[in-house]
Amino acid sequence: MTVATRVAAGLPQRSTAWSSGVARYGRPIGLAALVLMLGFLTVYPMAMLLYGSLHSTPPGIPGTFNIDGYAGLLTSETLIVLANTVGLSLIKTILSLALAVLLAWIIARTDTPGRGVLEVLITLPFFIPPILTATAWAMLGNAQVGTINLAWRWLSGTDGTLIDVYSYGGVIWHMMQYSTPFIFLFVVDAFRAMDPALEESSRMSGASRWQTFWRITFVLMLPVTSSAFILSFIRGMESFESAVFFGTPVGINVITTTIYNSITQRAQPDYQSATALGFAAMALMFVLLVLQSRMLRGKNFATVTGKGYAPNVTRLGALRWLTFAICIAFFLATVVLPIGQLLLSSFFQFFGFYQLDMLTLDHYRSVWRNRDFWTSFGNTLLLGVSGATATMALGAIVAYVTTRTRWPGRRLIDLLAWLPWMMPGMVLGIGFLWGFASLPHAIPIYGTLWALLLAYLALGTPVAVRVASAAYQQIAADIEECSRVHGAGWWQTLWRILVALAWPALAVGWVLIFFGIMRELSASILLYAPGTEVLSVTMLKMWSGGKPEEVSVVGLLMLAMVLLFRWLQLRFLQRRIRTL
Amino acid sequence: MPSVVLQSVGRRFGEVAAVDDVDLTVGHGEFVTLLGPSGCGKTTTLRMVAGLERNDSGHIAIGGKVVSDAPANLFVPPDQRNLGMVFQSYAIWPHMTVFDNVAYPLSVRRAPKSVIGERVAAALRLVEMERFADRPAPMLSGGQQQRVAIARALVFEPEVLLLDEPLSNLDARLRAQMGEEFRALQRRLDITTLYVTHDQEEAMALSDRVVVMQRGRVLQDGPPETVYRRPASRDVASFFGTPNFIEASVRSCRADGDGYVLEIEGSEGRGACRAARPFEPGSAVVVVVRPEDVTLAAQQAAENGQLVWQGKVMAATFRGARRTLVVETGTGKLAVECPANRAAAIGDGVTLRVDAGHAWAIAA
Repeated sequence: MTVATRVAAGLPQRSTAWSSGVARYGRPIGLAALVLMLGFLTVYPMAMLLYGSLHSTPPGIPGTFNIDGYAGLLTSETLIVLANTVGLSLIKTILSLALAVLLAWIIARTDTPGRGVLEVLITLPFFIPPILTATAWAMLGNAQVGTINLAWRWLSGTDGTLIDVYSYGGVIWHMMQYSTPFIFLFVVDAFRAMDPALEESSRMSGASRWQTFWRITFVLMLPVTSSAFILSFIRGMESFESAVFFGTPVGINVITTTIYNSITQRAQPDYQSATALGFAAMALMFVLLVLQSRMLRGKNFATVTGKGYAPNVTRLGALRWLTFAICIAFFLATVVLPIGQLLLSSFFQFFGFYQLDMLTLDHYRSVWRNRDFWTSFGNTLLLGVSGATATMALGAIVAYVTTRTRWPGRRLIDLLAWLPWMMPGMVLGIGFLWGFASLPHAIPIYGTLWALLLAYLALGTPVAVRVASAAYQQIAADIEECSRVHGAGWWQTLWRILVALAWPALAVGWVLIFFGIMRELSASILLYAPGTEVLSVTMLKMWSGGKPEEVSVVGLLMLAMVLLFRWLQLRFLQRRIRTL
Repeated sequence: MPSVVLQSVGRRFGEVAAVDDVDLTVGHGEFVTLLGPSGCGKTTTLRMVAGLERNDSGHIAIGGKVVSDAPANLFVPPDQRNLGMVFQSYAIWPHMTVFDNVAYPLSVRRAPKSVIGERVAAALRLVEMERFADRPAPMLSGGQQQRVAIARALVFEPEVLLLDEPLSNLDARLRAQMGEEFRALQRRLDITTLYVTHDQEEAMALSDRVVVMQRGRVLQDGPPETVYRRPASRDVASFFGTPNFIEASVRSCRADGDGYVLEIEGSEGRGACRAARPFEPGSAVVVVVRPEDVTLAAQQAAENGQLVWQGKVMAATFRGARRTLVVETGTGKLAVECPANRAAAIGDGVTLRVDAGHAWAIAA
């Protein structure tokens, strides 16, 4: 009579032979393929970097082995470069952290009006490619014809100079525009998700608001802020655009610009010193990352519980308009000003001469007819879509193997996928440059789009793995086990449960990596060949060729793409993630 | 034919033996509960039956087929074992509706659409959730999630139903109600059930048989009453409530029915009690006496074979229906449960009596 008995009849049984065969042979083969692929993406360029730094001639040309490259690092010139790199990054990180924590507190823990919108506005600069804001600020903050200085002279009636971006301050300010929203994104959720009971119990124990902030809130936030600090510091040392735009013209050089100059800006490219410097930079990153993991060991306070609660919101009274103004000012300075400048200079004959009779659409026509522009536009879209898809697929697989299985070799895979963390784009770029040039001619990667694709794949993998493993970790293991017990095989469970649940997070990761590829300049500038330029490379070439107005047009188009993808992400993806 | 058979099954995690040499047989239609404190290996045992954990010794058979044989390196993955399982967190897939959740075991077996519709509806009717078929899974209460999880585990008529602490996430009232409903359903469907819990009352109320586990081993395996009334060891006895343990020595021993009757001598006189096995005269035993089996008596005279103590009430706790007393006697403090309306003030002298049938001797 029972339902259960009726249910039993006539369900087809799956054959067990096929699936056990896959388990026996598929796994070792798959693991080996994964290790080989990751090895090619990470260990190979690192090995070629070491090889190149010990080799006296460029790739493909017979030479001898010596340590001249490393000996050359011990000059006062290199030491200044090192001091510049570390100093600039340290200062900008401290300033960004202070600003980002203030903004995060305003957004997450106060009653400032319009916090939801403000949050979107504050984080927007993170998604704008730095080369775009760099060109804008070069036109805004030029000592002679910069828009800000022109406005200042007009307002004050003097002929003084208010700001000059071609300076240490300019480099730092430009880096901050990117790193402040970066740190903000890192810490704001920690501020928001903290259980208010932790603070309330401190207040109940007799601590003042101020004591509670320092002894509870601050200490609980320490792991996430120090983590954000070190990551941002590393990002700062890897940064290329800020220094090449605002430092190089006035003789302020950092590691990335020195590598770039010694390969592209000399009559005889000096590969050996560039690779040696690159290897040294990588070693520095490695030390920092080890430091970070040691600092954070055992300090991962879980302040987030599953309970739904409203965080402790501080009532600011009239002061909330001040905090509102701070957020708006940040948005104006980092988004409205640069975009306004790009718009302005795209419509005038020459930037700096803003008279009505100079208005023109010539720059738009010229970009429209520019074949190089269309090539690089196509390349960027193609590489962006294929690169983001491939990277996210690789990341999803690596994360699955490292977080959800107990297969042998998963630690090696984890390590290999993590290695690009410590390789600045510029350094990975030369590693691949050597690596691709040394491949047999039957494998034509050098000078093709494949070269760029592989570099993007390597650079994006650590992010993809992080995103995917975070997504998997939110899915409890029994959700998967339940599917296995009720008759679904390994593949069915992977697709119908894990991927089905994780896809919004994976899609967010896809968009992040797509943004990363659009923004990427330092590896692309070393690996492109005529015909494989991407938008950022074309912009830098046009800028060097003295066409800032056309660069503005290209920049605006790039911006339109960024805004479109960001809107799509916010509109369709973020909401789905919240509901899960 | 027994539905589930475990033979000397073991599982180690590094140096620790989580499950050590467990033998267990579950007959067809039987409801067996694995009971024990957390970390006793009960969940690991259940997961090895499910195929979510691999046993590294012994073998497991389900429905007469060996599904895991450690020495022969045979292991059938969980999806081919044909088991239904209810997880502690219910593991309702949040990206599906109630219908899709319940339909999943059928759809992965490629059942035709018409069959799926019919059987899912029947399974939801069984747990009284048919009105919620189209509701997204995240919009269910705890009790509703549990019903869906049960429907999903039953929809494909599994060989055995496995449940891992399914009631522990519910509040006390719902827990009792869901437990009874589930037991009635299980009886009606006559489905073999292996159930894991750390709650002794739940285990006794639901099960045909209780298997008490500790440190990876089975301490006792029997019907709830037997495990409660006739514990095999001090560990088993102290797992159910707070029994009194009284040390005594054996004077004589004789067989009686399905057990033995012992004459014992304690620090305060003599009496009789029962035991599962014979004891040599002169050997030391521990007598287990449940607080609710102790009666407060006014007169001193003991009836035939009763254990008797004189004492003074040290503490009294009112618990609503009952009152718990702590009585200081010559053999130490004894816990006594009596009706709440029985007035016993602190400091009162009382006489405690226990029938021989309610005193159970185990080896000291």
